[in-house]
Parts: sequence; C-alpha cells; structure tokens
Amino acid sequence: MITQHFSTLVAGLLVAAAIPGQALAQNDTGKAVYDKVCVACHSAGIAGAPKFGDAKDWAARIKAGMDTLYESAIKGKAPAMPAKGGATDVSDADIKAAVDYMVAAAKNGGSSAAAPAPAAAPAAAAPEAAPKPRPAALSFNRLLKPASKRNPPPPEDGIHDPDNDGSYALQPPLSVFEGLPRSNAGNRINWVKALDSNQIAPRWDRTDPTAAPVVMDLNIVREVKGSMPDVVYPHKQHTAWLDCSNCHPQIFIPQKGANQISMAAILLGQKCGVCHGKVAFPVSECRICHSKKKDVMPVKNANAQ
Amino acid sequence: MTRCPASRIALFLAGLLLAGVPPASAEYADVVLNRMAEKEGMRPVIFPHWFHRIRFRCKVCHAELGFKMRAGSNLVTMGDIIEGRFCGACHNGEIAWAPENCDLCHSGKPGLPPGIFGGHDTNGPGIW
Repeated sequence: MITQHFSTLVAGLLVAAAIPGQALAQNDTGKAVYDKVCVACHSAGIAGAPKFGDAKDWAARIKAGMDTLYESAIKGKAPAMPAKGGATDVSDADIKAAVDYMVAAAKNGGSSAAAPAPAAAPAAAAPEAAPKPRPAALSFNRLLKPASKRNPPPPEDGIHDPDNDGSYALQPPLSVFEGLPRSNAGNRINWVKALDSNQIAPRWDRTDPTAAPVVMDLNIVREVKGSMPDVVYPHKQHTAWLDCSNCHPQIFIPQKGANQISMAAILLGQKCGVCHGKVAFPVSECRICHSKKKDVMPVKNANAQ
Repeated sequence: MTRCPASRIALFLAGLLLAGVPPASAEYADVVLNRMAEKEGMRPVIFPHWFHRIRFRCKVCHAELGFKMRAGSNLVTMGDIIEGRFCGACHNGEIAWAPENCDLCHSGKPGLPPGIFGGHDTNGPGIW
C-alpha cells in the first residue's frame, strides 16, 4: 500500500513538473541554443550572469526592454558577457530565440518548478555514477589507491566539478593510457618508454611539428653514502623532454661536484624534486635512479689476500 | 590519556577539517589555478599535465612560454591569455581551441586551493 501511495505521489509530481516544461518547449530553437551556448554561465549564474529561471535576476533586465536584452546578447556586455556568448557562428535570430527562451523561463520561474529542472538532471545522475562509496576506514590501506581508483575520468576524479558540463567534454586519461607502457607510480605510465618507442610524439616546438630535440647522451654517476646503489643521471632521457635552460644553471650548476643533492632536499621539492614527485616519477621508485651497484667492498679483498 | 571518547572524536574531526582531506584520486600532476578564478566568479582552473605532455615536450611551455616550474609562481590572467601569453600562445583557435570555451579549463570544484594535485599514491602526511 505504501509503495502504491508513493508511486501515485511520484507520478503526480512528475506531471506537475512537466506542465511548465511543456510550455517552455515551444521555443525549440531557443532551447537548443541555450543548451549549447548560454548554459555554461546562465545555468548557475556564473560571473554575474542572470541565472536561468530566476525571476529576481531577470526582472530589472526584462524591464529595460527586449531590444536592450537582444543587443546585449548579440553584441556582448561588460564585464563578462561575450558577443553571442562566445558562439559567433550562431545567427542573430537564433540568439534572440535563446533570449526569448530564457526570459520566458524567468517569467515562469517565480511561480513554477522551471528553475530547479535543469539543476535536477545532473543531481539525479550523480548517485548512479557513484553507487556506494566504501568508507575509507574499511579499505585495506586507507592511504593506498586501489586499482579501480587509478586514472579516473575527470568528472569522478575529486577535483573536477561534476556539475560542470565541460568536465564531461574532457578526455578521460584511460582512453589514452591503455595503449602506453605502464609503470608503478605517478600517472602509472612509463613516459620515457612511451617516447622512446614512438607511441607518443609530443612536439619539440610549439608550432613546428617536425622540429627534433638535440639529445645529449651523457651519464653522470653520483656516488652516494650508505648502502644504496650509486645514482646514474642520464642526460639522454632528460634532454629528450627538456631544454638545458630548464635545469642549468638555476637548479643544477653545470659543474661536476658543485651540486649538493640529498633525498631530503628532493622531498622538499628542490633539485630533482622540482619535477620528480610532482610530474615525473616520484621518489618511491628508488631503483630507477639508484641503479649502479657499488664495487665489492674493499674489506673483503683484504681478507682474501 | 583519560579523555572522554566524544572529545577524542571531536579532535579527530577537527584534525580532518584542518588537514583539508586531499582529493584522493586526482590524476598525477594536475595543477589547480585558483588565485583569481573564484574571486572573479569562475570555477577554479585545472591544468592536466598528462594531457599536455602527450602533445608537447616539457620544454615548450617551461622554456618557450615562460611557465616557471614551481606551483604558485605563475600568475596567469585571462588578459594574458587573450593577448597570446602563457596558455594563450597555443589556446588561440590555431594550435588549440580558443579561450571562449570557458568551462573546459574552469572546471574545478569550487573552493579548491591552488597547487599541484594527484601527488603520489599514498597521499599521506608526507609531501610526495
């Protein structure tokens, strides 16, 4: 019985919501243009834009007359309204239709459910996308990302706004990463290998796609204290991406023995840590740098004699 | 050590709030620019390093375009971009799409602090 009552109630609500919707739908062109262009700012009222369906925002503007509104929409208005909302390829008539559509919505907005309608759609979709987030305390290791949470698409990554239409237009990382060599950290892509094997071809010059880098093949061995293997610094992999001036002389003085480097400095974002740990592979990958085995201990040699 | 459980929970919650729970799954090296965006009524900007490094070597932006390699050291305004500096060197409708697509860059959650996100796996109290 309860469910029956509930479904009647829901049906009633849906009908109630549909009536103002139908009235608005008469202006199909206006709605199409609004959904494509204007919605970016006018749905949420960004940068001072009058909010869709908000009678209060629109009242003063409607008072100024439709011709003034049309002109502001077509020619733009300071401080934030670009001419035609930035879509200069749309005809004047279509822009006017969009203005009519928004004005109609604002006039209805004072009394009906027209205003919440556009906002309700993404809100209803959100719970479907994320069914049941597991409480952090119940994960195996709260600090470690499980495989299912690596490289999420932008709207689900925790920093992109899922209410922003643009977030859905952005390329999801996995659509590119799937073909590339994997690694255990960072983006979980071995970028050096991807570049070496020509799986990616990033430009060396902003405009010229044929420009090639001058790669310098020079290894610098840095002996380290303690039992860690010595560090081999390869200029080759670095000059394939970077210009000399990115590192020299500001971060590293180009002279043997002139640079004090410590893991502490790297962890603080200095020296190698300018990139490693932020955009290049992080320091958890010890053995990529600490890769040269130390010579056999001299003490052993002495015993053998 | 004989604090009542309620005050301990309150302390823990306060700690969580102060620490500002880091977004756990942002892509490695995503940069949030929000020194001006929200003050001007726009969403924060998110710059995805991964997307750009597939298309350009580091050197193009960090040597040619003048982006310093330190989060927070580049103050980029829409004025700069429209006049062809910083992002605007490519985002001009010729090399990449033009700056009128506001919501592609201005796509961050409101209230994000500026800085580099997506850190290392552990996202623990350390820096990496």
